[in-house]
Amino acid sequence: MTELNLAVVVKLEPDLSEGNISYNSDGTLNRNKTKNTLGPHSKIAAQAAFYAKVKYGAKISVGTMSGHAANNALQIAMETCDADVLQLYSDPKFAGADTIGTAEVLKNGVEKMKGKMDIVFSGHRATDGETGQVGPQIAWKLGYTFLGNVISYDVNLEKRTVIAKRLVNLRGIPEIIQEVEAPLPVFIAIDPSYKYYFNTVSLRLTAEKYKREAYERAQHYSDFLQTFNREELGADETLVGLIGSPTIVYNVQRVPKGKATRSAKVLDGSNPEHIQQTVTAIKEAFAAMVIK
Amino acid sequence: MTEEKYRHVYVVIEHVDGKLLPVSLEMLGEARRLFDDFNKRYSSTEKVVAIVLGHNIGTLPKTLIEYGADSVVIVDQPELHDLINKIHTKVICQICLDKETAAKIEPRYALEFERPRYMFFAADGIGRHLSSTVLAELDSGLASDVNKLVISDLEISHPVKTGGKKIMYKKTLEMYRVDFSGFLWTTILCLDNTNEKYPPREYSPQSCNVIPGAFEPIEPDLSRKGTVIEFHPTIDEEDLKIKILSQKFVESEVDFENYKAVVGFGRGIQESPERNIKLVEEFAKHLNAQIGISLPISKNVFSASPAITSTYMIPARVIGTSGQKVSPMLYVAIGISGAMQHISGMEESQFVISINSDENAPIKDASDILLKGRMEDVLPLLTDELKKQLPTIEVK
Repeated sequence: MTELNLAVVVKLEPDLSEGNISYNSDGTLNRNKTKNTLGPHSKIAAQAAFYAKVKYGAKISVGTMSGHAANNALQIAMETCDADVLQLYSDPKFAGADTIGTAEVLKNGVEKMKGKMDIVFSGHRATDGETGQVGPQIAWKLGYTFLGNVISYDVNLEKRTVIAKRLVNLRGIPEIIQEVEAPLPVFIAIDPSYKYYFNTVSLRLTAEKYKREAYERAQHYSDFLQTFNREELGADETLVGLIGSPTIVYNVQRVPKGKATRSAKVLDGSNPEHIQQTVTAIKEAFAAMVIK
Repeated sequence: MTEEKYRHVYVVIEHVDGKLLPVSLEMLGEARRLFDDFNKRYSSTEKVVAIVLGHNIGTLPKTLIEYGADSVVIVDQPELHDLINKIHTKVICQICLDKETAAKIEPRYALEFERPRYMFFAADGIGRHLSSTVLAELDSGLASDVNKLVISDLEISHPVKTGGKKIMYKKTLEMYRVDFSGFLWTTILCLDNTNEKYPPREYSPQSCNVIPGAFEPIEPDLSRKGTVIEFHPTIDEEDLKIKILSQKFVESEVDFENYKAVVGFGRGIQESPERNIKLVEEFAKHLNAQIGISLPISKNVFSASPAITSTYMIPARVIGTSGQKVSPMLYVAIGISGAMQHISGMEESQFVISINSDENAPIKDASDILLKGRMEDVLPLLTDELKKQLPTIEVK
């Protein structure tokens, strides 16, 4: 049986969950106090890879670029997809990269993984950066067909194609679900709404077996961890980090307060009369529309 | 950088089966405004160029000229009917680098032309990916989710880009984007490397994808003249193996349009998410309102039972630039401080009530009534009062 060769690229992100996130008094994220973890979209990407492992048999490599110790994120990723190999790309020279500079490192990373990939998975977008650019840019640099917002997929092992459903969200018209077939290799950025289902008992048993294996393996994740700096990765120093990045952050400012479009009447929420007034206003709001 | 090498703004137009998406005209409108000013300021003649790919695109070029394009580059052939990222990326890049096309846009600098100066895409399900792959191919900079654009000459000193020297970067596109918290506005610049320690590099086009709804189209001028340029791309046979098997429209899982009232909640639920969301639920039930959320709620920031989490803390409920835009008769903002990105999703509501413990929260400026107090205190009172007056309220 030819098993699939899969990669998942993941990102260490601020943990926005309750108790771990910390905001500054002005409402912005306090990065020093906020813990880091595997990004939620990265986790879904790992789940998508796990689906193929159970259904078709696969070898999975997980890679991440991080200046911080991303061990925790890689460990969670391993436990999520029963990864065979973990790779960390870390070098001071990678710091300050924009999406192109980041994609360049991760492209080199995927090429460093053993064998040619059939599918590379990434999350939809990072929770902190939110550009969603890195996935498609890695795909392009690798020369793989890019499929974004994938909500489900299957592989035709004989034809060596993937059939994927994509959710296309466009402002002004209803959402589109598009079914697309593409020859391997492909790069899949997984949609946040992705969920896998195993519809036979045998697949569910296989999934359980791999989950146990993944749990065991993740306890000793460092045995599977390979670390690469720029030189070991073979990345061109002029294409990574700040120098390899066309864009810079020039300025960060508070979003200016918008023009007041309404002048609110301030009422006291503990005063029964004010509550009554509010409900009266609600009634009037609906009534006004009826007249119109 | 020689002035003639990089010219014009190329705007990648989006349409579905020949029907323009609103964002296309919004991008053109902003490009037109920027370039009317640009050409005056720099005594220049650079153009607003629209790129349209598709099949049977009919009268689109005429409309695009009326809405501000000087030139429309069209590729009209069956292989481009479906949007396939790989094919569209390659065709757009061919157009960007094609000197013959540039000569038709503006004969005067045809020989010098190398690439567009700026490029705009839509920040949506097509443009986000397309802009990323096009700019990976063109190897230049891209800012995403932009909602403000300024062109200016900037003197910049940067440790890496300029090696610490002060360098004047002319005609630089300042691209503003709001960060995920909704409170910070970041300006992104795409700058050439002039640091002598490294090989010099010029980055063009300076590009961005823009948020639908961020800009206004211009008033169409039916008498505007422009050139329509047909482009004949080379399409890789191998790429035609990527096939769209089916395509269908689906309704969003959360419908706001058919509700006369919408209730949105935000970080104010934090003290007791589960209980507070149930209060919101109860209140919304009596208003027959759909329930929306602010962006942070969709990021698993707060823990609640699986039923509540999977029903409410989901991206489909987000109101704002990262989600849906609503304009009900009544919008009630509960525990929402009012980041700009949320406001732009609800400001067109007819009547707005906000419930907030901070009477100076930014949401105040978008509200008709601000009911001061903690949601856990105010909501039960409000719901009780609604129940009392309920028979007289006809909401749907």
